[in-house]
Amino acid sequence: MSTHNVPETFSIPVGPLHVALEEPMYFKIDVQGETVSHIDINAGHAHRGIEYLTTKRSMYQNVVLTERICSLCSNSHPQTFAMAAEKIAGIEVPERGIYLRTVADEMKRVTSHLFNVALLVHLVGYETYFMHMMQVREIGQDMLESIFGNRQDIGAMCIGGVRYDLDDKSIAYIKGALDKIETETKDIIKTFKTNGSILRRTKGVGVLTHADAITCGVVGPVARASGVDYDVRREAPYAAYDRLPLVVHSLTDGDVWSRAMVRLEEILTSIDLLRVCLRDLPGGPVNINDRPDIPPGQAVTRSEAPRGEVIYYLRTNDTPQPERVKWRVPTFMNWDSLRFMLQDAKVADIAMIVNSIDPCLSCTER
Amino acid sequence: MSRLPQDLEARLTAAAPAGVEFSAETDQYGVTVAWLGLASAADLSPVAALLKDMGARLSMITCAQPSVPEEEEDEDEENEDGEAKAEAEPKETPKTFGGTPLDGTSYEIDYHFDIAGDALTIIAYVPQGGSIPSLTPLFRNADWHEREMMELYAVKVTDHPDPRRLFLDASVDGAVLERLIPFSTLVNAASTKGLWERLTAAGKKGAA
Repeated sequence: MSTHNVPETFSIPVGPLHVALEEPMYFKIDVQGETVSHIDINAGHAHRGIEYLTTKRSMYQNVVLTERICSLCSNSHPQTFAMAAEKIAGIEVPERGIYLRTVADEMKRVTSHLFNVALLVHLVGYETYFMHMMQVREIGQDMLESIFGNRQDIGAMCIGGVRYDLDDKSIAYIKGALDKIETETKDIIKTFKTNGSILRRTKGVGVLTHADAITCGVVGPVARASGVDYDVRREAPYAAYDRLPLVVHSLTDGDVWSRAMVRLEEILTSIDLLRVCLRDLPGGPVNINDRPDIPPGQAVTRSEAPRGEVIYYLRTNDTPQPERVKWRVPTFMNWDSLRFMLQDAKVADIAMIVNSIDPCLSCTER
Repeated sequence: MSRLPQDLEARLTAAAPAGVEFSAETDQYGVTVAWLGLASAADLSPVAALLKDMGARLSMITCAQPSVPEEEEDEDEENEDGEAKAEAEPKETPKTFGGTPLDGTSYEIDYHFDIAGDALTIIAYVPQGGSIPSLTPLFRNADWHEREMMELYAVKVTDHPDPRRLFLDASVDGAVLERLIPFSTLVNAASTKGLWERLTAAGKKGAA
């Protein structure tokens, strides 16, 4: 048997536990030499049956439970769930509560985006800059810990408003932290536009065309980097987004670099939104200071989590427990697009491309 | 205010000859949330094709088993008390407007679409043992939703191009949301018991 008869296609497993993957997902990848020819995605490693559990908990317990579905977009889940309950019960959140919801939302977005782009730099192999970016993110994490008492599950939301308040001292502190993050983020954007190592590894890699983005129904920065100009905050406003100067960033190349750049630009926009919120923060109560029974009904609500559109469907009946809670997180939609991004990619780029959709498995599988 | 096409209800009604129930509501932000109940699940495909033409994006699919409406509960309690025989004719099972029995075993499948920022939910009812056509050929992203639906409920999805399990292992029995799974089974306490028995046996052997 001569070496010419050796098959050129090999099947390699990537995951579920892999040094470069941040999430326990299993990819069965067929490679031809160094090039990916086919991928199969096998999910289910973090399935916990939370959807079932929600129907055994009361509406108010579920605010706590839904926050624990995901750590990086932990704020978006209880917020969207509470919005659904408020819609069914006809609860109006006080103005100050509306603004404080936006503040919590945008703070989480800043740290989530910084985390993802920092990991990209790590996968590029630029470790010094990775550590620098994590240090920048740490300013944001310190901010969350100082205001909410927790770094990830900030427990800010409740049905009828928020559970925290800001005073002049904490507002001044947040403004100071935002100034620092803004300066650093502008530097990071400059680095991303000029640094040879980053550009060589990320430009033109893992491309998702506009047409494929529409077909896959992707959401969030993944969609916006492929020219799908859609942001729930603008298209279907909630909280205080209808009165804020929101800029939606979209690019057209659909590569790893564009997805990182959309996230970096969004950090700056979030900082702008936070400043306006803190400036215009109305007085009054932060929540309705009541725990009314939620009457029977059904509602669909959506919000823009750091990774894109989160949608909740809630159906209630005469019991304190909901009859059905169903939600779909942005990553649930975005996994499929990896089939397009990884097609003909190099083996060395697989982890980087997977990271570029900012995957979150714990909320995909629930 | 609504970004849904003006003639949406008329076009959807035309696409669903068996009949529809339409309602829409616009909130203070100007975002419209519309609901369209289908009398017959057979009308799902033409309605979805119409939405595809209109540039709608499939956002989520929810499957649920709606509970029996309130009035029926009394009868259930009587049955439990053993007074069922004393009752004359059993009350008729409530039905959806399309005639699907609402006995707690039928499925309600909600297809949540996004049309330029507004939300439209198409509701189809399927009786126990029934089936629903797959939307995956029309909307590629229905794939995972339908695969998940098939493993959580006993509902059949016809013509799905890849009807494998999604999250649950093939060794797990299907329709997990339709039956009570004791917590000890869920967390696989059986293996702990097995481990204890093995250790006890090993201890006795060591002592002998």
